[in-house]
Amino acid sequence: MDTLLIDDDSIGVFLTERLLKREGFDGNITSFSSAQDALEHLQAAEPNSLPQLIFLDLNMPVMDGWEFLDALKPQETQLLGRCHVYILTSSLAHSDACRIREFPLVAGLIHKPLDAAQIHAVRAQVEAAASLR
Amino acid sequence: MSDIFQLKESEQRFRALFENNPDLVLFQDRESVIIDANPAYLDVLEKSREEVVGRSFSEFLPPHLRGLFAQKLREAFEGHKVNFDVEVQFEGTNRAFVFAVTKVPLVVEGVITGVHAVMRDMTETHASHQVIREQAHKLSTIFESITDAFFLLDSQWRYTFVNSDVERLLGMKREDLLGRTMQEVFPEEQHGVFQERFQHAFQTKQAVHFQAYFERMKLWLEVKAFPSLEGLSVYFSDVTDKVRSQEELYRQNQDLQQFTYIVSHNLRAPLANALGLVDLLGSIDKHSPDYDEALHNLKASTLQLDTVLRDMNTILSIRDKQDVNEPERVPLVDVVQQARLNLEEALAQCHAEVILNIPPDLHVLGNRAYLYSIFFNLFSNSVKYRSEKRPLQITVTATGRPSQGVRVLFADNGSGFDTDKAGPDIFRLYKRFHTAQAGRGMGLYLVKTHVETMGGKIDVSSTVDQGTQFILNLR
Repeated sequence: MDTLLIDDDSIGVFLTERLLKREGFDGNITSFSSAQDALEHLQAAEPNSLPQLIFLDLNMPVMDGWEFLDALKPQETQLLGRCHVYILTSSLAHSDACRIREFPLVAGLIHKPLDAAQIHAVRAQVEAAASLR
Repeated sequence: MSDIFQLKESEQRFRALFENNPDLVLFQDRESVIIDANPAYLDVLEKSREEVVGRSFSEFLPPHLRGLFAQKLREAFEGHKVNFDVEVQFEGTNRAFVFAVTKVPLVVEGVITGVHAVMRDMTETHASHQVIREQAHKLSTIFESITDAFFLLDSQWRYTFVNSDVERLLGMKREDLLGRTMQEVFPEEQHGVFQERFQHAFQTKQAVHFQAYFERMKLWLEVKAFPSLEGLSVYFSDVTDKVRSQEELYRQNQDLQQFTYIVSHNLRAPLANALGLVDLLGSIDKHSPDYDEALHNLKASTLQLDTVLRDMNTILSIRDKQDVNEPERVPLVDVVQQARLNLEEALAQCHAEVILNIPPDLHVLGNRAYLYSIFFNLFSNSVKYRSEKRPLQITVTATGRPSQGVRVLFADNGSGFDTDKAGPDIFRLYKRFHTAQAGRGMGLYLVKTHVETMGGKIDVSSTVDQGTQFILNLR
């Protein structure tokens, strides 16, 4: 399962990547510290090379997680069902949990730190969605 | 025969009118001698017909009125119908009356043979008019003395009454309002809130209560308008201070919410990392390179946590001191120089040129440590966000304006930022606008907090790749 990490915090990226590997993720794990760069990467990607899973941080300078999702709106239909975005944030604000409903691409919101149970749940969800296609 | 009969009948009719008239009726000759008087008159005089007829009317008048009545009688004998109002207390009686007097000359074959004087008792009418006048006066005194401004509009929107507070709050003279319509006097309010709410009150006959901004005088007014048969009674008062402090309170509340949100987020970010790293460390081989990196990151996360807590402490201690510290007169050029010297090395490394246009005797009312922190942060930001395309140049220009405080312009030629996009966020805590340079988004938040704590104001304008300008208004 190919995975994309978007997080400006290098410690956060290190941690998520190691935890995913520990829980048996064997696909490519690519990380971007800038949402802008990640966006350009996705916009340029071939449909069959799109990552199935994206972990997106919210609080980032220049372009934050919400702005990234807004910028992705035009491609939403192509991405829907292929890419599953999980918000991975340290924020506990309720407003964030409500706001994800505006974005069909977002499959869920996870509060940092990611743990084994959450990783297995995410994998199960993505695989179930893939088997329906 | 029938002529005599007719004459008799008309004589009788006249007698009936004369005898039964509730008004006082006299018939006098040229010398004011009473030839006939009706019972109403006799009643008032408390005399019999015999005691009155044949005597001069003047005898019954108080001396000060004799001249007036004699004059009016002369006028009547000149052929005029005379009307006048007078207050009389007849001699020997104990009640005063207000009479409307009419004197009608009686002309027989071209000669005036006498004058009928009809005196209508207006005492009560006069008294009630007096009451109305007094009440009107009292009302006007009340309208003048209430602390609200008060005016009346008639159904055509014309001002029919205004008190002195109206003149003061609307900045208009009474004579420029009375008789004119609201639309004539305030054409700019044609589509405004006042017009709309008053219209609503007129149409629905329901009182309205609202707050609105009165542009011409730059005031917030709280208005109550009550429709009545005559038009609209409007009371209003100046609530500008109240509205401004509500706005200030709202802003402070927003700031506080923002602060809480940011703090929780920024405390939680390193904490969440630390929790995750502890989890990871428990499951990896102690001799793997990942183990060392995780441990290193754990240390970094706890340090970050500590930094955030220290920042909180700095911010909260500034807020606490807000009302305690007496402001001092700080020589501006000294503090700016001090901040510059402490960054000498960093400035020299990027070959920065610093130009100070600060009059040596210019003082700022505030706190030296805050002023130092402000300029230290501004200098270090200029260094941090300089453009790689040209050597850094910083210009600090200060001007003192009597009674308006000190204005400082801090300008650099650095990489700048998009003011439209960042806007007021630039001063927010932990809000960052660059990814290339390290920083935690604390500096400008502190600068703003310091400036505002000293009763000042800071604004920023910036153009990408041209530079940034901070404008500080200090006391």
